[in-house]
This record gives sequence, structure tokens and C-alpha cells, in this order.
Amino acid sequence: MNRESAARRFAVAAAALSAAAAALVGLALLAGTSPLDAVRALAEGAAGSRAALGETLARATALVLTAVGASLAFRAGVLNIGLEGQFLAGAVAAAAVGPLLAGSPLAARAGLLAAAALAGALWVVPAAYLEARRGVPEVLSTILLNLVAAAAVSGLVRGALQDPGGDYPQSRALPDAVRLAPLAAGSRVTAAILIALALALFATLLLEWTPFGLKLRATGLAPAAARAIGLPHARLRFLAFAASGAFAGLAGGLEVLAVTGLLYDPFTAGAGYTGIAAALLGGSHPLAAALSAVLFAALGAGSSAMQRDTGVPGALATIVPGVLVLAVLAARARLARKAA
Amino acid sequence: MSGFLAITLLLAAPLLLAAAGELLLERAGSIQIGLEGTMLIGAFTAFAAARSGAGPHAALLAAAFAGLLAGAAFAAFAVAGRADPILVGTAWNLVAAGGTAFSYRLLAGATGSVLEVRTLPPLAFGLPAAALAAFFVPVAAEVFLARTRPGLALVAAGENPLALAATGGSVVAVRTAASVAAGALGALGGALLVLTVSPTFVEGVTAGRGFLALALVVFARWKPLRLVPGALLVAGATALQYRLQAGGSRIPYAVFLALPGLLALFALAAARGRGGAPKALGTPAP
Amino acid sequence: MSIAAGRLAADSGEILRGGSPVSYRNAKGARHAGLVLVPQHDLLIGAASVADNLAFLDPAAPFFESAESRRTRVGRLAQAFGLELGAADARVDALPVGTRQRIEIAGALAGDPDVLILDEPTAVLSPNETAALFASLRRRADAGAAVVLITHRLAEVFAGSDRLTLLARGRSVKTCRVSETTPQEIGGLLVASAEGAERPGPTTSDVPAKARQFSNQPLPSLALTGFAPNVASAVRTERVSLSLSPGELLVLLAIDGNGADTIARAIAGLERFSGRVEVGGVPLPPSGDPLAFRAAGGAFVPADRREEGLVAALSLSENLALPNPPGSVFLDRAAMRAHAEERLSAFGIRYASPAALAGSLSGGNQQKAVLARELAHRPGVLVAVHPTRGLDLASAAAVRSRILDACRSGTAALVVTADPDEAQLFGAPLRVVTRGRLSAVLEPATPAATLGRLMAGLEG
Repeated sequence: MNRESAARRFAVAAAALSAAAAALVGLALLAGTSPLDAVRALAEGAAGSRAALGETLARATALVLTAVGASLAFRAGVLNIGLEGQFLAGAVAAAAVGPLLAGSPLAARAGLLAAAALAGALWVVPAAYLEARRGVPEVLSTILLNLVAAAAVSGLVRGALQDPGGDYPQSRALPDAVRLAPLAAGSRVTAAILIALALALFATLLLEWTPFGLKLRATGLAPAAARAIGLPHARLRFLAFAASGAFAGLAGGLEVLAVTGLLYDPFTAGAGYTGIAAALLGGSHPLAAALSAVLFAALGAGSSAMQRDTGVPGALATIVPGVLVLAVLAARARLARKAA
Repeated sequence: MSGFLAITLLLAAPLLLAAAGELLLERAGSIQIGLEGTMLIGAFTAFAAARSGAGPHAALLAAAFAGLLAGAAFAAFAVAGRADPILVGTAWNLVAAGGTAFSYRLLAGATGSVLEVRTLPPLAFGLPAAALAAFFVPVAAEVFLARTRPGLALVAAGENPLALAATGGSVVAVRTAASVAAGALGALGGALLVLTVSPTFVEGVTAGRGFLALALVVFARWKPLRLVPGALLVAGATALQYRLQAGGSRIPYAVFLALPGLLALFALAAARGRGGAPKALGTPAP
Repeated sequence: MSIAAGRLAADSGEILRGGSPVSYRNAKGARHAGLVLVPQHDLLIGAASVADNLAFLDPAAPFFESAESRRTRVGRLAQAFGLELGAADARVDALPVGTRQRIEIAGALAGDPDVLILDEPTAVLSPNETAALFASLRRRADAGAAVVLITHRLAEVFAGSDRLTLLARGRSVKTCRVSETTPQEIGGLLVASAEGAERPGPTTSDVPAKARQFSNQPLPSLALTGFAPNVASAVRTERVSLSLSPGELLVLLAIDGNGADTIARAIAGLERFSGRVEVGGVPLPPSGDPLAFRAAGGAFVPADRREEGLVAALSLSENLALPNPPGSVFLDRAAMRAHAEERLSAFGIRYASPAALAGSLSGGNQQKAVLARELAHRPGVLVAVHPTRGLDLASAAAVRSRILDACRSGTAALVVTADPDEAQLFGAPLRVVTRGRLSAVLEPATPAATLGRLMAGLEG
């Protein structure tokens, strides 16, 4: 993602917003509701009360981290589509390690999250290896790893990780003491969202204000020049790849720690892919991606209320992010061709 | 045993259709990771058509037509528009999954009851004609690529697009045509699911089969004929798993679920070079 | 030629064929009308067989064709044109580059064109293969077709052609029958028109003092032993052994495609090589490692400044700080800015501010910026490829003098250029590279006409 001129960014944003608005209006009308009513219900469900806001932020926790992870990878020129799998790897690690950790809750949480981040980073390795040694496009291998991770979760929650107390496909719950307390009564949001947003800030600082970040950006912007100038091109790509996996793994770990308390099947609800969409919308800038992630989370939180109140199916919350991304891609492509 | 064979073939057919279409698209140099979404579009279209009174064959045609449009739309963004196909595919999945779920809810109302549709009548081996035909699609694709002029143009579009342009061919036209075909085949795969295996539409009826089809293309190293053993292997494993579970076996289903992904990864790792992937895979048209 | 073959649209003028004007809107139309261009670069389907490729290139191929029919075509074309095309079922990317070139040509000939245009067809062919190709081209011409050969190799022109037109700087300089002129005359015209009378000749102020002996550095700055780049798609280079002492400058003079830039890139670690390369006594890995080259004290100025020299989307300050930006935890932007300002003014680069994007500079300033970055840390060896290409006279002079300054401070330099006047202005020894072979070391005062002939493949 290059530095776009302000005019260009405005044009793209305008295109995206109009497409989203058109989608909202169209979908509401299809469902036989006035668009205004639908939007009002959506907004109320997303932020109309403390509970609603809490739900939005709870949903945003994992999404912000996968979006940030995607941004890091994309800025380095790595097409990491495997965030789903890395997210699951982190969740598995958290669910496996969490119930075993003794000691203070703080230490348990730290250990659990570290395991989750590590698991996410490790899940990247087969794809990174195939790309570095064989030139296998990382798109292919990361998607395959997603499939394997989903299968592994399915098996583990029915097997090795299964809660012995019942016969459900879910893991043992984390002890209550370890789990984070909700910030607002009646909602699922915890301090985890603050961790996520802090990490988004950290990622931005890393990219823009450290030598490592500068080298990473150079590698993503001009891979041929990076090599010729003497940057450790392959190592930088690998580090970005692994870092994005760590972020996604952390997202999975936080989802287990802060939101669900345990692992079940299916677990992701597309957090990895939605994170990619958020990153795209944010131009691969971590903070902008985080903001987009919160927006998507708000759509998700608001959509169930909207469905309940107006009958507009909640699946709208999945459609709008997709439409936004398509609009951005189309607008960017059109502008690029006009400039050429 | 014949029941086992029938189930295996029935499970394999949708995979074969979707994978064959995707294979052609990838050989042409584009890539649609939103295949899952296209299958959902086909599944829902067939369901909706069947619910509004069309017979199962008409429903199949409707799905194919929807797939054609889907393929054309994808090409508009990712081929002619030169947007990154991976990113378009990611967004595609979101829009299609959300769109079909949205439409299903509107169609089915708020009730939770299952709406059944008439399934395709069986022709042989317990399979309908469409499912049987699915096994010939890879053969047709192989013949097309290996023996015809447009097939050569498609291969050139995926291996060395400049070469195609130099002979006066249009990379955009070839990839768009491949996308339209892939869209139709993917949608037919989804439609087959609804009209045979699960005689209804539910959210996520495709259950990741679109991604599975992507894995099959990799496992087949982009050679159409190899799709058949791959699909049969995966479908057979699933059918076996049903049997074993019914008989009280403890082999976890996860093993069978992981099989396609693992097989494809090993195929990538074991192959020489890039695993047989077309050289210009994912690159924009010149 | 691309215009004639329908590849590009003409801006002005017209093309006559058989006395009547024609215009081809695209390559397909041109082919149908019997006019084919065989371009310089590989336009085959590597993963497909020879038979499939020739079917692909044959405009008369049927919609559906059996394997047998395709195989027959290979044999038929090989025989008809006397070209060795390899086994019909062999994968093209496993074949040597000379065979691929012949397949390309056979594909062009398959449509039985009346007009065949070949762009530098012998760049990657051995002398034997060249002779075979010319024999078959001669046969085509004798059979009535018109063959247009674009080449810089005068030997080929005088060995096999009937007429020639000399083009320089987009202008036609001379058109005549080959029998009416001599290689010497053409060689002279080739070089004389290259830069014209505006260029000043070498002056004594441009000639560096003889390389001082840097007695505390007994090792040569750069030593090549039995060295040859190992790049499949480029011309085969013969083994080279040479060494440069600190402060020594050697110019490699070659027309593009003769192997000089590949040599330079391989030394800089961007391509594989066989043999030995030592920078300041440190051997470099043959698999090609730009980091090792730099760690040993190497600096590299690539031919393509936009793609490989600078990161156009980053600022000047950021570019000049690469590859090792200052700062331990945080980027020291103040130091970067100061360093950038110092470097930019030291090299006389015109810029708006250090925060300006590198891509916004003019070509001359971009090249100076690349040099500024590369020379910042007194490298032991500087490898520069076409450092003044596309620059105005003033910028070119500035770039040259910076390189010479570096040599005066002890840097050994290897400069690749395609411009004989440029080469002479360095005032340093030079070697001409043709077909991957290096000439003997020549004095900088060697007459330009001699250089031209050597570059064109004729003996001096």
C-alpha cells in the first residue's frame, strides 16, 4: 500500500461510503423495512446503550488484532491469508495451556497469551518455509493451513481437549479467576479490548517509528530495490509473516481468555477473513485497520438487534464489509488505471 | 458396499465441479479464493428456484446461470479491473455468505423449520445424471487444455501472458471466459449439494467445500485428471467416517477433515519448484 | 519495428508494403497479413512442450489437434528451416536458451510470412548456431520472403545481408547495399553519431591520478578468479579473472545483452555465479548474497534506478538512511534528516525537502541520490551499471566526478556502460565485452571508432 495523495484517498473513501450506504438502503428495502428504521436499530444495537457498546467492543477484541496482524503482513508485501488458522492455533494453545497454569491469575493470563501468540507465529512456519525455499505462493499454503487448523480444532474439542465433565464438543473452561472480568455489567467486554487497541498503537509505532519498521516498509513497497539496496529481504518478510501470525494467535487467545472462556467448534466466525477486510479498508495502517475492525464489530453487534426489531436479517453485517472492500478495490483499480 | 460407493460418488461430484472450474481459472492465471461464496450462490439459487416451483433440473440451470453472472462479476473486478484477485475473493466470500444467508432468511421467514426441495432423480449407481456428468468434466477440461487452440491460449495466459499478448490474444478475454466457466461450475457444485446430498439450504450448507476444492486443485498439481482421485479420496474418507461412526468407531472425524489440507500441503512440499502452479498465477493481465 | 508488426501505434508517417500503405491495428492482424516479428525476449510457454508451443505459435493450427499432428509439425518445421528444435515432447524450460530461440523463430516462420523481422536474434546464440540460423534465413530470402534483421553485430551484417540501414538515436543515418560499404565505415558512423559533436572530449582534469598505493591494504579490493555468472536466460560468459586494487577503476564497455551487466550483478550478489569472487579478501557465496557483498565492503548502483535504486514511495531522508537507519529503539529522524541534508547538498541534488518522496526527483537527481547513499560509507568496491544512462550532460558529468572522487579516496570501481564516449571520459582502462567475452585491457585514449568496432563484434 503506497502513500496515496489526499485527493485519491478521499475519492476512494467516498466510493466506499456510497457503496455501503447503497447496500444498506437496498438490503433494508428488500427486507421490507424503511432504511432509516433499519439504520436506527443498527446504531442502537451497536452503541445505543452500555450493554450494546460492550457487545461491540467485545466483538472487536479479536477482530482488531487480526486486522492489525493482516496490516503488518501486507505492509511487508506478505499475502498472509492464513489468519483464520493462526487465530485457531492461538485459541487451541490458550484452551490447552490455560487450565493447566497454576500461580497467580496474572501469571496464568500472561502465560496463556504468550502461548497463544507463539502458536500463531508457529502456524505460519510451514507456509513461510515453502515460500522462501520453493517459491510456493503463500496464499495457497496459508489457505490449506486454515483447513488443517479448523479440522484440528474439531478433533481436539472432541478428543484431547474435551471437557471431561460433559459430552459436548468443547474444551475445559478456564478457571473463573483467570478469566477477565467484564468491564460493564451485562456485557461481554473486558479489559482485553484495551490490550488490543494498545497493540494496534504498538504496531503503528513499530512501522512508522522504528528502524525495523522502516526496513519492513521498504521491503513491501519495493522488493527488488530492497534486495539491491542490501536489506535482508527474506528475513524481513519472514519476521513480518511471523509477527502477523502472532497477532492472530493472540487474537485467538484473547477470545478464549476474555470472551468465551473455552474453545468450541466452530470457533472463528470468519475472524481471520474479516480482519483482512478491515486491514484493506484501513489501507494497511494498523490504527486505521483497528478502527475498521471496530466498525465491523459494531455492525455485527447492531445487526442482531436490527434483526429482532425490524426483521432485516442480521447477515447484513457480513455483506456490508464485503461491499466496502469491493468498492475500495474497484475505486483504487480505476484510479490506478486512469493515472497510468 | 454399493451404498458406500453411491455416497462417495455423490459427495465427490460437487467437489469435482467446483475444483474443475477453479483449476481452469488458475491455469489461466487468476485465482478465486471466494469459491465457497460462488458455491453458496449456486446452492441458494437452486434452492430458491426449487421453492418457487421449478423442477430440479430447471433449478440446476438457474444455478448455472447465476454462476455465469458471478464469474463475470468476479472478472470485472479482478481481471479487467486488475484488482488483486486474492482480496476480491476475500470480499466475495463475505458478500456471498452474507447475501445468501440474508436472502434465505427473507425467503424462509423467521421460522426455524427446514424447507425441503425435490431432489434430482437418480440415473445410475444411485446418482442423478448431473452428478454422473461431474466425473466427465475433468476429462473434458483435460482435452480442452491439451488438444485445442483456445486451451493453449488459456495455458499461455497462466504461464506467460506476454506471450499470449504477442500472438495477438487477449489475456483479459481468456481469463474472463475462464472466470465465467468457473463461476458456472462452482455454482453447479453448490446446486448439486442442495439437490442431492442435503435436500435443503441452510446457512453454510457448503461447509467449507469451496476451500476444499481449492485444496484439491493444489493436490492435483493443476492437472484436471488428477482431480478425480483427489475428490474420490476425500469423499471416500467422509463416507468411511459416516460408516465408522455409525458402527461406533472412535477414529476422530477431524482426521478425515484434515486430510485434504494435509494432502495438498504435502503435494506442494514434495513437488519440484512451485508445486506445478502456473507461473503467472495471481498476476495482473499485461 | 514494433509499429510495423502492429504492436505499437504509429505517431506519424506511414508504412508502405508492396507499394501500398498498410497499417496493422494489432499483432493478430499483422500475422494474418504475413508479417511477423520475433522479439528479443523469450515468449514461449515454459511449462509446455516444444510441440505445444509450436502449435500455439502457428496461426494455421486447427481448433482441435492430436498429439501426433503436433509432433509432426515440429519435425516439418525443423526440416523446412534447417533448425535444430529439440525433442517434440521436451519441456521448453528444460531446453538451452539457443534452442528456445530457434523454436521462437520456427514458430514465426510457421505461418510462412512474407516479411519476417528478427530483433537481436543472435544475442544468445553461439557462433555455430548463428551460422545455422543465417543459412536458413538466407534460404527464406532466396525463396522470396523479406527478412529484416535488427542487430548491432556488424560481422553478421556483412556476412549475410544484402542491404543495411543504420539507425542511431531514432534517425536513419545511412541506407545502402552492403557491398557498397565496409565494416570500418559503418563502425565509425555507429560511434560518431552516438553522442555527436556536443560532447567534450576527455580532458586531463577528468583523468585521475594514478592509483596510489594504499600500503595498508595489501589485498586487492576486488578479485575475480575463474568467475562466470550462472544465469540461464542470459548469454554465456567465459571465465574471467581480474583484480582491482584500491582506487583503481575499470570500465566494462558493452552493448546491452552482451553479458556485462550480468557480470556486474553477479559480483554484487544479485545473481548466481561460479568461480571465485573476493571483496577485500572476503570470498562471496556463489549462490548470490547481496548482504555478504555489502558486509565485505561492496556498494552497488543498479541500472534501473526507479525499480532497484530507490524506494520511490519513501522520502529522501528515509531512502538515504537505508539499509541501516540510525536509532536503537526508535528511528532517529533528526539524525536521518541531518544526514540526508548533508548528503543531498554534498552531491548537489536539487530537492524540495528531505521529506519529499524519492520518486519526485528528476532522473539525474535520483541517480545522484543513489550514489550519495552508496558512497556514504566509503565502500571498498563500487559496482555501477549504466550510471549515467538517461541523464543530461551536467548530471552525467557530476555522477562521473563523484565516482572518480570515490576512487581517489581508495574505492575500487567497476563501471558498466554502453556508451563509448562515456567510457573514455572516465579516463580509466577499459575492456569491451561482447558475447560474454572480455577484450584485453585498452587504454582510455583508444579511438572511438576502434571501440565501436569492438563493441559491434568486429576485431579492432
